[in-house]
Amino acid sequence: MGGAMALPSLECLGGAAEASKTRCLIVANPLGMHPGYFFPKTFGKNFDLPLSLRSLNWLKDRLSIFSHTDHKMVNGHGREVAFLNGILPKDAGSFPEKNVSFDQLMARQSGSEVRFPSINAALRDGIQMSWTANGVKDAVITDPQRLFNHLFSNPSAREKTKQLDLIDRNDSVLDKVADQFALLEKSASRFDHERLDQYQTSVREFEKVLENRRQWIGKDKPTFDISGHYANLEPTLLQDYNAIFDMVTYAFETDLTRVATVAFPRTVDYTAIGPVTRSYHSCTHNGKVATITAELVAIETFQIEQLSRCLQKMDSIQEPNGEGSMLDNTIVLFGSGMGYGGTHSCRNLPIMVAGGGFKHLGHVDAAKGGKNMPLCNLFVTLLQRFGLEVDSFNTSTGNFDLRYS
Amino acid sequence: MKFPFSLICLLLGVTLPVTQVSGSVTLLETHCFKCHNDEKSKGKFKIADLGSEPTDDNFERWLDCLDLVRVEDMPPEDESKLTSTDRKQLVTYLEQKIKSFETVRVTSRPRRMNNLEFANSVRDALLLEDVGTHFPLANLVGDSRHHGFDTHGETLGMSRFHLESYVEAIRNILDATLKRGKKPEAKRYRISAAGIEKGNVAGAKSRHASVKYRDFSDPRDPYVLKKLRRIPKTGRYRITIKATGVDRTLYDTKDTGFHHADPIQLKIQMGDREHLVDLPDEEAMDIKLDEWLTAGTELKFWHETDAFRMLHNGSFKHQRAIAGAYLKKADPAAFQRIFDQQKSLQKRFPTRTADHSVFWRNVWHGARPRLFSVDIEGPLFESWPPKRQVALLGENPTVEQALEILKPIAERAWRRAATDDELMPMVALVEEHVERVGIVDAYKEGILGVLLSPAFLILDGEDLSASDRFASKLSFFLEATIPPAGLREQVAKGKMASFESVRQELRRRIDTGKAEALIEEFPYSWLKLADINFMAPDPDRYPFYDRKQVGEDMVNEALAFFRHIVENNRPVTELISANYSFVNADLARIYRLEGVPEDSKLRQYTFTDGRRGGLLGMGAFLTSTADTQTTSPIHRAVYVMENLMGIHPSPPPPDIEITEPDVRNAKTIREVLAAHTKDTSCAACHASIDPWGFAFENFAPTGAWRDDYREFGNITMPDKQMRPMLGSVKPVDASARFRNGTSYSDIKEFKQLMMSDANRDRFVRCFISKLLTYANGEEPIANFAEIDQILAKSAENEYRIVDTIAAVADSPLFRGE
Repeated sequence: MGGAMALPSLECLGGAAEASKTRCLIVANPLGMHPGYFFPKTFGKNFDLPLSLRSLNWLKDRLSIFSHTDHKMVNGHGREVAFLNGILPKDAGSFPEKNVSFDQLMARQSGSEVRFPSINAALRDGIQMSWTANGVKDAVITDPQRLFNHLFSNPSAREKTKQLDLIDRNDSVLDKVADQFALLEKSASRFDHERLDQYQTSVREFEKVLENRRQWIGKDKPTFDISGHYANLEPTLLQDYNAIFDMVTYAFETDLTRVATVAFPRTVDYTAIGPVTRSYHSCTHNGKVATITAELVAIETFQIEQLSRCLQKMDSIQEPNGEGSMLDNTIVLFGSGMGYGGTHSCRNLPIMVAGGGFKHLGHVDAAKGGKNMPLCNLFVTLLQRFGLEVDSFNTSTGNFDLRYS
Repeated sequence: MKFPFSLICLLLGVTLPVTQVSGSVTLLETHCFKCHNDEKSKGKFKIADLGSEPTDDNFERWLDCLDLVRVEDMPPEDESKLTSTDRKQLVTYLEQKIKSFETVRVTSRPRRMNNLEFANSVRDALLLEDVGTHFPLANLVGDSRHHGFDTHGETLGMSRFHLESYVEAIRNILDATLKRGKKPEAKRYRISAAGIEKGNVAGAKSRHASVKYRDFSDPRDPYVLKKLRRIPKTGRYRITIKATGVDRTLYDTKDTGFHHADPIQLKIQMGDREHLVDLPDEEAMDIKLDEWLTAGTELKFWHETDAFRMLHNGSFKHQRAIAGAYLKKADPAAFQRIFDQQKSLQKRFPTRTADHSVFWRNVWHGARPRLFSVDIEGPLFESWPPKRQVALLGENPTVEQALEILKPIAERAWRRAATDDELMPMVALVEEHVERVGIVDAYKEGILGVLLSPAFLILDGEDLSASDRFASKLSFFLEATIPPAGLREQVAKGKMASFESVRQELRRRIDTGKAEALIEEFPYSWLKLADINFMAPDPDRYPFYDRKQVGEDMVNEALAFFRHIVENNRPVTELISANYSFVNADLARIYRLEGVPEDSKLRQYTFTDGRRGGLLGMGAFLTSTADTQTTSPIHRAVYVMENLMGIHPSPPPPDIEITEPDVRNAKTIREVLAAHTKDTSCAACHASIDPWGFAFENFAPTGAWRDDYREFGNITMPDKQMRPMLGSVKPVDASARFRNGTSYSDIKEFKQLMMSDANRDRFVRCFISKLLTYANGEEPIANFAEIDQILAKSAENEYRIVDTIAAVADSPLFRGE
């Protein structure tokens, strides 16, 4: 990316740029963190950064690392899908907004003001952690090139006409399908209704998206250049993640979106990193063998280094139309729906919060009376910081007292 | 038509002597209450949970009780003795209570098609051979599996992302199928060896401009045609490829992993369509293809093999050392000459010796395909517009014909008759667009409307009549697609109303290759074969498994075995009791078998040691349930219970701290799991879980047989914490005792126990439930009585698998009421 970038123009439909807005970046993995290398040994602000977190040394006084939070889930894999909502898909039915994840509540709040309500980026299979209030997962973009096209590529005038035409045609098909749907629905009994409702909601949401797109199509996207990351034919893992984080940062800076997730999935090949020779998942089941544990810690360190690099960049950027750095206006959550893969533990999740203008607390012991705090309590706080007027979220029992200025 | 269940039960209730009921309650109190009361509630169960009658909430508790009492697992032999008469009475009591609760309900809940079903159904609705070779479905949202099943309603929800990806996919397919304008001119591309290049390096220069042939070295590299990387125009193409295989047996199998009895295979990839061709040795053959290809289809050629990754980390560059070692023996003079020459070129690494792969880049003579030329002609059309278009729209479609043109497409897609009213919105689409985009493109909009309708995308909806629904379910069950022509009519005429007619249809479908989804997709889901490498054996400890990708062979073994059982209509029980399986040379190496031909083909093999044969001796099960370094009797036990026996052990309490496995210490897994019997809170459940898993302890993480845990101290990686553990060899103990007192000493005896009458019924019942889950997209939980009927029908027919599947398809649980 070019070093001398002119101040980017803010994306908006309304003309004059509005005051700064809070953003949220979530970075997650599906296998947790080795507790010995993630949780500091002591609580409070005066702690030594554990090995995996060393790259965050520059941010040490502006972090909150949480011990003893979880979603009270039975141990095992497959809980990563519930990281941001605390509810497994199978239990979604008993909640009013199903297993909606908190990032999607944020996206709903800010979605109408930006081009993309939220962005989910990853490599390979991604992680399905964003869920809509309809109980279905939000799509993940797993190819940096597609992410780039999605965020920054501007179609030619001819291409725009074609896109508008396609939007028109799709709109008219949806319209007619809805007509036919009305006929079907009349004869449906209660067993059909659940699926048909989902179908109908999908049609409506798709229509809304088309309408939104039609409006945005006339406006140019901010330009951005990631070719620096792709000088080689075969991009490395490092280049891919650098590119993803840079794109997300720039999307924030230009207000393309205010909510983003970046995931480090299980299926990503980490063998390009230092000592790593086996799959991520195999490294978690290391049987305490020192060399394999070292491979796992290398992977985890890599993830944090990527995060750190991104945060450093955000911190170096003055908040457009606002106070402080971009980082001060961006809630950053790092963590996992699994505690530690080596034990399949889903207790004591590795959770870290940075940025967001919070008065950070260092290493926090969130347990009360020997019981872990529901992670959704922290999410309530993050939602409030984002500007939502909520006092509960899914399985929360309250909020967590994390002040902000 | 059957009696409503409530009516049957009412009758039963009348005939059930009152003394028997109260007698049963007394039995429960005498034999069970001691451990299952309000204070003790062992295994998280107390008699009070049952209430006086089954309800929605406690129904599964009643089923558990019945299962455990019936198989004599409860009461435990050391707690209380139940006479066989008393047991019979108690079983009858529980069964009748359970049946009295059940009502037959709509058994399949409507769900979205999965991606495979979508691809097949669009293909068949549009009368195509496939949806196109340009990856039209590349952007569909991936399906996730629910307990192995990708046909499960739980994971087949609909969102706007799905809808949007369907619109894109259907447009991709229609654009490639329906053409307007003039017939495109055919062109002929004659491509010589010089025009064939490595496909993964942009602008790579070949060393020699004028070559007579192109040899493939690295099997991981595709080769492409420089002037024809992509097919320019949609249509039929005639392709002739001149090729041969060379040096098939030059290098030693132990170095390359390439079996000498295997042919050299050329993979011809045309987008998402692939052909595998066995090449003759050192003799050019003409491979002739005639293919309908879509514009944009990428043409690629590969050497298809799982070999040439045995050295180092498997990367091809390291394999070149084999060439040097071979040359050293075969032609020492040339070896020295090339080494000296290369050595002088590569001064940067003076310490490298002749066994380094870097010197042998240009002398690779591993088994490989050789291409001489590729001749491609097209697009060719027998007529214009193409036949496939005429089949859908006719020769000269007009707007006025919209209803009559769209109706047959809609009736195929929607799997039922379509009314004019419902089709009017689609007709309107054609009318709306015709002026601006022309008639052909206008019809694309109409067809898109048809295929976007919930009547297409959502299966088993109630817009179908009973007979249409049966035709649809049967087709998705057997072939994962919409009903073939004529089936709906046949079913409507009552031609599939009896068990016998369903059985005949099944037999016919299987014999003619029209039940492939049942034969491939069902076992893949049921046996959770997608999980094979979820915890792949550690690549350092088990390099052979990793380098030769034996996991794939294991999956294929399981599928070949299941196919054999179905195609020969063997008993369902043989899935467990068989003394045979299907192996190739790679599996033979892991299983340590003698006399298996040295190639990759799976062949039936009979085991004489009683250890292997059937599902329980297969790598597919043994590997996918093991950790990377160690085995876990618990994982294996839970797999056997849930997938083969239909028992659902309760999950561990959420606040349990699980000890991390530590392969450095010399404890056997049995010693580690001793807590399960010492700690009474663990023991309550684990006494009934662990015996299902210990039998497999003789099988290492790859599924190889072991007599002792020697490998605990024998990790090959350098690790200072690992001491050489001389004297730490501990024998495997694969014995266990079930709660009901039966015990086994090894896998042989365990397999015999699995065939006891009670366990056989459990297994067949579980198989039936899994088939129903696959077909209905939902577990048949509250359908105990109906499953009993299917089980009885299966038993009547000696448990033959096709008869059992027919009994499932004929049951009200499949047909719906």
